[in-house]
Amino acid sequence: MISVRNVYKRYGRTVALDGLSFEVEEGTMFGLLGPNGAGKTTLISCLCGMVHPDQGELCIQGLADLTQIDVRSCLGVVPQSIALYEELSALGNLRFFGRLFGLSGAQLEERVEACLAISLLKDRAKDSVATYSGGMKRRLNLACSLLHDPKVILLDEPTVGVDPQSRNLIFDTIENMKAQGKTLIYTTHYMEEAQRMCDRVAIMDAGKILALDSVPNLIAQYGGAARVEACLTDGVVDKDQILSRLDNETACVVDQTLRFDSCNPLAELTGLYNAGIQLSSLKMEAADLEDVFLNLTGRTLRDT
Amino acid sequence: MKRIFYMAVKDLAVLMKDKGNLFWVFGFPILFALFFGMIFSGMSDGPSQIVVGVVDEDQTRFSEEFTEALRARESLEVITLSRADALERVRKGNLSCALFLNPGFGEGLGGFFSEERTIEMASDPARTMELGFLQGMIVQSLFEVMQSQFTNLDRVREQLDLWRDDVRSSSDPDFESTTLLLFFDALELMLKDVNELDTNGSESVMKLNLEIPRVEINRERQGPTNSFQITFPQAILWGILGCAATFAVSLVRERTVGTMQRLLTCPLSEGQILAGKGLACFLTCLFVVVSLFLVGWVFFKVPFVNIPLFFLGALCVMLCFVGVMMMVSTIGRTEQGVGGAGWAIMMVMSMLGGGMVPLVFMPDWLRPVSLISPVRWSIYVLEGGIWRELSFIEILPACGLLLLIGAVSYILGLWLMKRFHCVG
Repeated sequence: MISVRNVYKRYGRTVALDGLSFEVEEGTMFGLLGPNGAGKTTLISCLCGMVHPDQGELCIQGLADLTQIDVRSCLGVVPQSIALYEELSALGNLRFFGRLFGLSGAQLEERVEACLAISLLKDRAKDSVATYSGGMKRRLNLACSLLHDPKVILLDEPTVGVDPQSRNLIFDTIENMKAQGKTLIYTTHYMEEAQRMCDRVAIMDAGKILALDSVPNLIAQYGGAARVEACLTDGVVDKDQILSRLDNETACVVDQTLRFDSCNPLAELTGLYNAGIQLSSLKMEAADLEDVFLNLTGRTLRDT
Repeated sequence: MKRIFYMAVKDLAVLMKDKGNLFWVFGFPILFALFFGMIFSGMSDGPSQIVVGVVDEDQTRFSEEFTEALRARESLEVITLSRADALERVRKGNLSCALFLNPGFGEGLGGFFSEERTIEMASDPARTMELGFLQGMIVQSLFEVMQSQFTNLDRVREQLDLWRDDVRSSSDPDFESTTLLLFFDALELMLKDVNELDTNGSESVMKLNLEIPRVEINRERQGPTNSFQITFPQAILWGILGCAATFAVSLVRERTVGTMQRLLTCPLSEGQILAGKGLACFLTCLFVVVSLFLVGWVFFKVPFVNIPLFFLGALCVMLCFVGVMMMVSTIGRTEQGVGGAGWAIMMVMSMLGGGMVPLVFMPDWLRPVSLISPVRWSIYVLEGGIWRELSFIEILPACGLLLLIGAVSYILGLWLMKRFHCVG
């Protein structure tokens, strides 16, 4: 459906894309996770046909010339910045972009209504966009890209600077698109978003893909052990028994608290339980994509 | 084609929402025409007067008649002043010139027959053009007064008696003084004969005709019959330039607000985007031109001599500047950059083409340069339909040149847009 092969792009001495290769299957959601400057937006711009790579090949639905009308007609792009005419109303924006995508008459009005419903802007449809809140603009920005019911949707950090309510609405819309069988590429530097919605995620940094797989596989491969912290029941603390039972180098008992890291914490906790060690409370932190990024780059996503 | 139209309609809708732009596009050209039309409206009553101060320190009949002769001129406003007052007014720029009629002015017939400086002039250095005109008027007035002196026999006798007394008293009788006295007698006799001829109805041989007859350039009409005819070509031009500058910024605005990115992901080529902008610009220009035409026709009674030719000329001007501004719109990355470049290019073209400074004020070496400015040709074709009464064939080369400039600029703009791309 979408294929990226050995793509390079430089801006002067800055390498924006450094030999990227991946494929996205039809009907799946592919995440590009990385810090600012990782090359996510450049890659999206290349996929839109707005930026020409120095080297490599990009194909959407088998077509390599991404400036072709056929490609653009099946592509919905949600730009990172708000791309709306603030002087016009939501209705004016939707009608204008709908017409550019060849919609007209009843079909146009139907799609405009649907997009107003998606963005929850029916009540404010005739107000100038300049009067909207940041969240409302983001929702309309997304809706404008869905007007022509595209098969492929490229979302470039669609939730930047959005309030929680609008963010959830955008997530719902995207998940709905995914349920409809659309193919989506989603860039973000919020690992929770990628983890929640994407079937496969590419971890990007400095124009390179560091790892690419499904979220569970990435975590299993690069995330490291889960962190377990348990409070032992009063009066039954036998440190040696507990540590020998666990056989885990990271395990330690301080006062009444047992701490250890494990790739299979449930099995180890079950073993403790079977040995009659009682726990009064348990806290477990599983590895996530943040840990994956940390293990791959030595930095956290927020450091960059 | 539909998409180009939708782009244009959207741009017009955006324009209508911006009241600041609306003023520059629609209000400014009408105000321009109104303002300069009012300034020029005095032209039908004759040009405004040059203020001249006369300091009459001679106080003779000749000096009084000369002052009256100056005062009789429509183009001059003559006020009598003291020497100090006159000098002060010239220094402060309140007077174009002060004329000093020194003692002996009348006796020497305005300085023609005197070795002393009996007439002097102090002028404002900032008004050299007026000074040249003024000198001509002074000489003309002097000749007129002298003419009246020689056509009035009593005065001639009076003057000749004065000169005779002068000759007799200044030197002993010799050959030279005797010759002069004989000359005065002969002159008196000749003037008597001439005046008798004149009173019999024949043409006076003494009458000096210093008025140069004017040949009208226009065929039937007397040039611009209405002052707004002069200002309307400039007003229309500024209206078109204002529209073009506004839309030049609109393309780069698409980039800065991010909508260009969305446009480029729509099934729309760069050429269609630029054409949409051009169409919106053209339609706005057309609206401005038609509005100005109607305002001029209905309210200012501008007698457009050839309406179809006027609209043909206006069409070529619009297409030219739409093309030029579309090119300008692609050369900058920011609104400030394009806005500045747009106005700078327009100012240079306008200054070179006579849109701001009339061509007559330009130095000789600069005048041929104006030929490269489309503003010059624009004013020419617009005037052709408003008052010059040019024929279709006569404006055709200028129209062709304007269309060529527009087309080349548009193609160059499109190339630049594709070459340097709008986003990446």
